[in-house]
Amino acid sequence: MQMQPYSGIRILDLSHWLGSYCGRLFADLGAKVIRVEPPGGLPDRVRESPGSFAFLNASKHSLTMNVEGKDGFDRFIDLAARAQAVVMERDGPLWDRAEDMRRALPGLVVTCVSPYGRTGPMRDAPASDLTLQAAGGIAWMSGRPDRAPLRLPLGQAAMVAGTYAATATAMCLRDSERRGRGHLIDVSAQEAIAHSLQNAVQVWDLEGRISTRGGEGTRDATEDVFPCKDGHVFLAAPPALPNSWNGVVGWMAERGHPSASALTAPCWEDREWRKTRAARERFFGLFTAFTADLTKAELREGAMARKIVMAPVARFPDLAMDPQLAHRGFFRRLGGHLFPGPPYLLSEPVWRVGPAPALGERQEAVE
Amino acid sequence: MTAPGCLFPDFLDDIRFTDLTWAGAGPFGTKVFADFGAEVIKVESTVRLDSVRTGGPFKNREYGVNRSGYFASRNTGKKSFTIDPKTDEGRGVVLDLIRRSDVVSNNFGPGAMKRLGLSYEAVRAVKPDIIYLSMPMYGESGPLAGLLGVGMTISAVTGLMWATAYEPGDPVGPGTHYPDHAANPYHAAFAILAALRYRRLTGRGMKIDLSQVESTLNFIGGAVVDWAMSGQEPEITGNADAQVAPHGIYPARGEDVWLALAVERDDQWPALCRVIGRGDLAADAGLATADGRRRNSDRIDAAISGWSAQREVGACAAELLAAGVPAARVANARDLIEDDPQLGARSFFQRVPHPELGESLYASLPFLIDGARVGLKRPPLLGEHTHAILRDLLDLPDAEIVRLETEGVLK
Repeated sequence: MQMQPYSGIRILDLSHWLGSYCGRLFADLGAKVIRVEPPGGLPDRVRESPGSFAFLNASKHSLTMNVEGKDGFDRFIDLAARAQAVVMERDGPLWDRAEDMRRALPGLVVTCVSPYGRTGPMRDAPASDLTLQAAGGIAWMSGRPDRAPLRLPLGQAAMVAGTYAATATAMCLRDSERRGRGHLIDVSAQEAIAHSLQNAVQVWDLEGRISTRGGEGTRDATEDVFPCKDGHVFLAAPPALPNSWNGVVGWMAERGHPSASALTAPCWEDREWRKTRAARERFFGLFTAFTADLTKAELREGAMARKIVMAPVARFPDLAMDPQLAHRGFFRRLGGHLFPGPPYLLSEPVWRVGPAPALGERQEAVE
Repeated sequence: MTAPGCLFPDFLDDIRFTDLTWAGAGPFGTKVFADFGAEVIKVESTVRLDSVRTGGPFKNREYGVNRSGYFASRNTGKKSFTIDPKTDEGRGVVLDLIRRSDVVSNNFGPGAMKRLGLSYEAVRAVKPDIIYLSMPMYGESGPLAGLLGVGMTISAVTGLMWATAYEPGDPVGPGTHYPDHAANPYHAAFAILAALRYRRLTGRGMKIDLSQVESTLNFIGGAVVDWAMSGQEPEITGNADAQVAPHGIYPARGEDVWLALAVERDDQWPALCRVIGRGDLAADAGLATADGRRRNSDRIDAAISGWSAQREVGACAAELLAAGVPAARVANARDLIEDDPQLGARSFFQRVPHPELGESLYASLPFLIDGARVGLKRPPLLGEHTHAILRDLLDLPDAEIVRLETEGVLK
């Protein structure tokens, strides 16, 4: 059996939303990650969509065990004595027993994931993906200036929180294995989001400006999504990326497109004017007059040839046809469906994905 | 509750990086190692400055290579070593650093490390068990490897941009280079930690080839699997939800002030109606289920907006939370820094002294360990540690250092 990075590591996973991705990352790299579920299953078996459940719990195992009450806790500790880490989450089993676990098993790493953290006035506050994106500051950053802020789609609060939880758990596991010191990690999803706001914290602290959703006054007229013949492309050709700007204008000129001469007017050398609404509207008209007859694939080819920062706005079916993803063999098959490959290709053959477990599947194997 | 104390972990005090990452995503991924006690030597060059050193924001809006807050936030606790790696001697010095390192990291475009003589093969020749992180946008080779990328182009080609929209067919995309700030740096950090354990188990290093597109696709992996299973692309719902209602962002009193709320369970609905004083809606049997509320979302959203638009946003959120309804102010950076009781109680922001930036502000790593914050150490000045590293780590005599300086190798 090929050794994997987390061979020999066993993680008990009581998470059901914000912490789920943490165990997934370990499981693909060799840790035995066991969902310890109440007899009816953890709530994500009902709440998550089939695809999300399959994705977040791939490669894990499942064991059913009643962990409530004194006997239940003792049973859990017996199991945890043969594990190196426990991942738990607010509103799930044993949430208030983290310290007791640490006392019983001093070398154990206990990772607690919650919307706002284990401490502070909001520690018990109800939360959802949307309200966490609002409270963490990322919802503010997206959308159009004349409309409400826009949250990110597809459950990003859990992805951000889970990834930071995995990194912190791996750091602490290393210390536990090296020096025998267990740890209690208290991951806040609000903080995880607030840690991922580009440079908005420094923009306020150093320059007294509030970074806000895109549009006039902040972004260059060229940095936007534009329609083309069969969909949309994203372009960035601000003065800070001169190759990109010259590539766009040069390509228009090559094709004899009238927008080329309009974009060589002196106003386009004025960085501040380029951020105004007038500039945005002007550029939008000139650029989409050019892209109207070109497909996403043609625009991508042109961008590569001319060093333009421009890319197609892919829809999901485009992913399956993406020549680069195909070249790298990114998509796998799992359970008869396409399944995303690893977030990183490793030169050693140590990443392996298996199906998410049914409730209590292969209970004997993990007990 | 007392404020959490500060911890300077030594969990990685046996690990050294030769860190060639620059701009945003790469340095953010290696920073966490410096924060946990590793020696992260940031190899820079004045010949081609790190683009975030020259991009803002700057202290008091004055340009300076040591005055960028963006750079500071991505490079806490690192050492700065300046060298011109395009000179033969410079390359030799970098290889000497690598011989004494556990990890080599870069986020250049395809082929750049090879042109510097620092391909995986070249590096492995001098350090056989090296862990080598590479993170180009689309991968090292292949038909689209040459596509230029920033965070937003990664959002574009993954479908994330298409799905970030108010209405179908009108993609807006994330307002930040979102993949640079969570998915890609922290997948990279996790992979390096895994590789370190693998090396301990087997004695073998590895190359980590992180395509930022593939990494980001994992952040929407659940939706990709749903699409693969059903053939249906995700429904574009803006701030609404495909299953539950009400669910959205509503105006509150003041200019550009917003409230987010989500009724995810049927029992939260009468609670919301009580808070907004609309017993009539709670009594409407047609609105008792999520389906019914979704069909009538225009009417419900108007009722909520009518209530919230007259009220202070913090009070709205507090009343809803007290009634058990998930709600929050849509916070901007200033709100988070100056007026967030939760982040305040947990000491999320730290001030760290710095010779040019003064006592400037940093977001902490988003977790407490054993009840304490991971303390941050200030980012380095450009070239601050070059001489000390040449002398103490590479054992070069002073005369040799002076010679390298004079001949322009250390710029």
